[in-house]
Amino acid sequence: MTLTRIWRIAARETLAERGQPDGLVAAVTFVATLILVESLAVGPLAAGQPPVASALFWIAMAFAAILATTRSFDRELEDDAIDAVLALPGGRDALYGGKVLALMALLAFVALIGGLLSLVLLSLAIALPFHLVFVIVAGVLGLPPVVVLFVTLSLRLRARGALVPILALPVLVPHLVAATNGTAAAITGDASGALGWGGLLVAFALVYSVLGLTIVPTALE
Amino acid sequence: MIKSIATPTSTVRARPILGAASIVALFVALWMALIWSPPDAAMGSVVRILYVHVANAWLAYLAFVVVFLASIAYLWTKRTVFDAIAVASAEIGVLFTGLTLILGSIWARPTWGVWWSWEPRVVTTAVMFAMYVGYLLLRNLSDDLERRATRAAVLGIVLVVDVPIVHLSVTWMNALHQLPTVLRPDLSPTLDPRMLASLIAMTIAFTIVYAYLMVARVEIERRRQARIIEARG
Repeated sequence: MTLTRIWRIAARETLAERGQPDGLVAAVTFVATLILVESLAVGPLAAGQPPVASALFWIAMAFAAILATTRSFDRELEDDAIDAVLALPGGRDALYGGKVLALMALLAFVALIGGLLSLVLLSLAIALPFHLVFVIVAGVLGLPPVVVLFVTLSLRLRARGALVPILALPVLVPHLVAATNGTAAAITGDASGALGWGGLLVAFALVYSVLGLTIVPTALE
Repeated sequence: MIKSIATPTSTVRARPILGAASIVALFVALWMALIWSPPDAAMGSVVRILYVHVANAWLAYLAFVVVFLASIAYLWTKRTVFDAIAVASAEIGVLFTGLTLILGSIWARPTWGVWWSWEPRVVTTAVMFAMYVGYLLLRNLSDDLERRATRAAVLGIVLVVDVPIVHLSVTWMNALHQLPTVLRPDLSPTLDPRMLASLIAMTIAFTIVYAYLMVARVEIERRRQARIIEARG
């Protein structure tokens, strides 16, 4: 069963991250640094405005997703473990699905730390906390399907570090717009706005998950 | 396993015919756009930029849909000719998307008062341009013929999602950009008949130019592929 293999890959990925949490540490540190630096660059007053704070948070999350995904595949490439996974029947689908699931869990943790940091540093008052959690969960679900897709396409290529953001960020534009507006809506108390944008994020995650599971296995050699 | 086929001689023969047809069609379309069609009641002769701007945008859509179809065909058959069609169409699409943005900017200055506006159609077109520049970059960074073709085909399928987003962005969001005047949901163009005829003539002329460029570029790519396969033995 492919689903069982997907779970196994996700579990293996999570265990590897627990044993050697360099991807998680790098992503959390990166998000924290970026939120701090961006807030200083635009000024604390401007950074505390809900739309600005939301945009800073999601831009940091997008880059953290790229960083964590790249690190995750680097670990596979370093010891050629990826070749063994790909050689298994159904291994290609499982690799994509497993990586996406594991990265969703990792990014949820990064979002928690980054979100708390934003709340404290920017003194944000949340009008609709449950709506905010919904938007953030939906936003976290939408990042890995896209980023894993582009990291997979760029595997073993020259200048991969530059190529992945160039490919992924334009595709993530609808996600970033929806996540920023949804988060700002939840902070300011616009319930219908938060739910609407959150729904769009769930749809985005579903579309790219299906697309990724359908065609990414073809790209894996 | 990658499959190679010889360069079809029919496309080589078609090139001069398409070249001559492009010149004639462009000449007729330019006459219609610059002399025969009336000026706009509000914009005057500035409106004439519409004929090249819209035709450019149409070609960009067409080119990226061809990339999508050729990508599916490549993954299905593994025939290198489809990879050649995809790269040729992507390059032409990027060129015409760039021209669409530049011409749109030139048109925006007298009508909107600015060179650039952060409105949905303009921004989504710029994003589409960036996506396909990324597509070409991915191709250039890969050395292996088969690997490059497969990865590019997957990307060519993923990126086509942006084409309907660009077209429908003006109806989904509040936009400064004009709503669709020809490809409307109710199929009733809202243009003056002479303007519409000139626009259709220019679009046909640009499509013939696209066909000519495609034949020429595919031919170059097929030679390149043949050299790589030959060198590989």
